[in-house]
Amino acid sequence: MQTLVAAVPAFLASVVEFVEALTIVLAVGVTRQWRSTLIGVGGAVLALAVIVGVFGTASVVLVPIEILRLVGGFLLIYGLQWLTKAVLRAGGAKAKHDEAAIYAREVAALRDEPPVPATGMDWISFTVAFKGVLLEGLEVAFIVVTFGASAGQLGPAALGAAVAGVLVLSTGAALHRPLARVPENGLKYAVGLMLVTFGTFWAGEGIGIAWPGSDAVLLVLLAAYLVLSLAGVRAVRAMLTARSLPAALVAKE
Amino acid sequence: MRYVRAFGAFWYDFLVGDRPGLFLGPLVALFLAWILLRGGVSAGITGIVLFAAVAGVGALSLFLTARPRA
Repeated sequence: MQTLVAAVPAFLASVVEFVEALTIVLAVGVTRQWRSTLIGVGGAVLALAVIVGVFGTASVVLVPIEILRLVGGFLLIYGLQWLTKAVLRAGGAKAKHDEAAIYAREVAALRDEPPVPATGMDWISFTVAFKGVLLEGLEVAFIVVTFGASAGQLGPAALGAAVAGVLVLSTGAALHRPLARVPENGLKYAVGLMLVTFGTFWAGEGIGIAWPGSDAVLLVLLAAYLVLSLAGVRAVRAMLTARSLPAALVAKE
Repeated sequence: MRYVRAFGAFWYDFLVGDRPGLFLGPLVALFLAWILLRGGVSAGITGIVLFAAVAGVGALSLFLTARPRA
């Protein structure tokens, strides 16, 4: 059970982030040069593995579990950001994530760059791919380390993220186009709910709350946050209607 | 030094971003829950307060973003 608790949220969050990274990698590879792009991807993956290995292992080995549970506070903060953004998207107050549109924008921006050198490394391809994968991957690393450390299950959390990475990248490599049909907005909603739920639970334990019903209270928290967030979606829609702005894009992506 | 500043800026943007209320709110909620626990309030009640405070922070953030404006 603890294994699944760490692996499933890490897997779902990683699918979302890897889909976003894949869009950038495909745009660079198709528009410029695959070799330099893939070297950039490899460099970023290596850097991420070191970050997760060093920070994850150090936190699990060196920090007492009572202190690690306070890390749940960061999970709570991060999860609340995800969840409120997801509610705003579902309510129409924020633009939904559209990989096809992002891919088109990336390709257009890359076409304005200087031409690919005839020989050797294309540093633009390398840098854009490295930065894109590293930035999206750092969010995965944050979730893996905080989830893994709080649950004492770093291995399953890292495995969940790795499986998501292999799944998304191999599908992208086979299709050779952005995975626009992955229900990213729904996944983000689900991940936001999980992060807030586990963040509340672990941060609460961190400050000394002995939750009545122990782990079973997780289901109660999840259900309560789900009900409230759905009410939030309805409230956002009502507020937009009051502003006479159907499908308004109030918040920036 | 430039890299340290960039690293700090990244994490600030990552955890705080353009909605500092969503960073401070949960911390205030946790502090409030901690005060209640130290004051002898039961774990069950404190847990409910923590949940309500977090939900309140989220609701306030949604309202401030989508509220009707004059």
